[in-house]
Amino acid sequence: MKSVLATLALTTALTLPGLAMARPVTLTTTLNRYGGDGAYLVLYVTDASGTYAGSLWMAGRKSKYYKHLSDWRHATAGNAAQINGITGASVGAGRTLEITLDLADALFDAGYTLHIDAAVEDMRDSPNEVAVPLTTQGAGTPTKGRRYVARFTYDM
Amino acid sequence: MKKLRTLLVASTALTAAIGVPAWSALRASDGDGLWPLAALFDEGSQALPLLRVSDDDDEDDRDDDDRDENEDEDEDRGGARNPAPAGTVAPPQNGLFGTGAPPQVKVN
Repeated sequence: MKSVLATLALTTALTLPGLAMARPVTLTTTLNRYGGDGAYLVLYVTDASGTYAGSLWMAGRKSKYYKHLSDWRHATAGNAAQINGITGASVGAGRTLEITLDLADALFDAGYTLHIDAAVEDMRDSPNEVAVPLTTQGAGTPTKGRRYVARFTYDM
Repeated sequence: MKKLRTLLVASTALTAAIGVPAWSALRASDGDGLWPLAALFDEGSQALPLLRVSDDDDEDDRDDDDRDENEDEDEDRGGARNPAPAGTVAPPQNGLFGTGAPPQVKVN
């Protein structure tokens, strides 16, 4: 009985910090009515020195178009392993993409920046369409994109 | 000897019966790429519907189309070159994700 209690205490002690180190964050991206096909979007993070830290979401399934997401492509060489399990459909003009991810607390207030690259078939590519510092204070504040993104917000 | 002669006569008659109409049909059809196989089965008919064996490569074109479609399907299925769709595998272990709920996506 003692050993069972000890095991339970140990697993609880190990689990609780893990739960506290991440939280659900909702990333909402609304596109302009730009009058074209669905947009490919990639959301990724750079650290305080501007170095690529990882990807959060890829909207668009066909890797042959990833070359148009040029900043992300430059950072990752288009490596599909960077976006396995976080890839969905492209987003139509005027539509809103809402993603909820379990993100590490360490991403916030530590100099990380969230970037969005965007591309639309037969239209101009838009690398670094959005660049938003990840801070707890900045949550819920809309940011306007350069070409295709009407507004982007993250909420937690 | 009699048997041999009978055999020769029979084979000549048979050849003539089949060969002459066939030869006539061949001469009658002057279109390229036509093969008058049907003529063999309907002697003397001018309005004979000929069995056309075309050298058109429609089938090859269709094969090309199929190949293109297959490539697209492969890509759609998440082939080697495409990433695994959300929900099929865990997110990458890049230090950005916790171990909680899997990604949820909604498009409005």
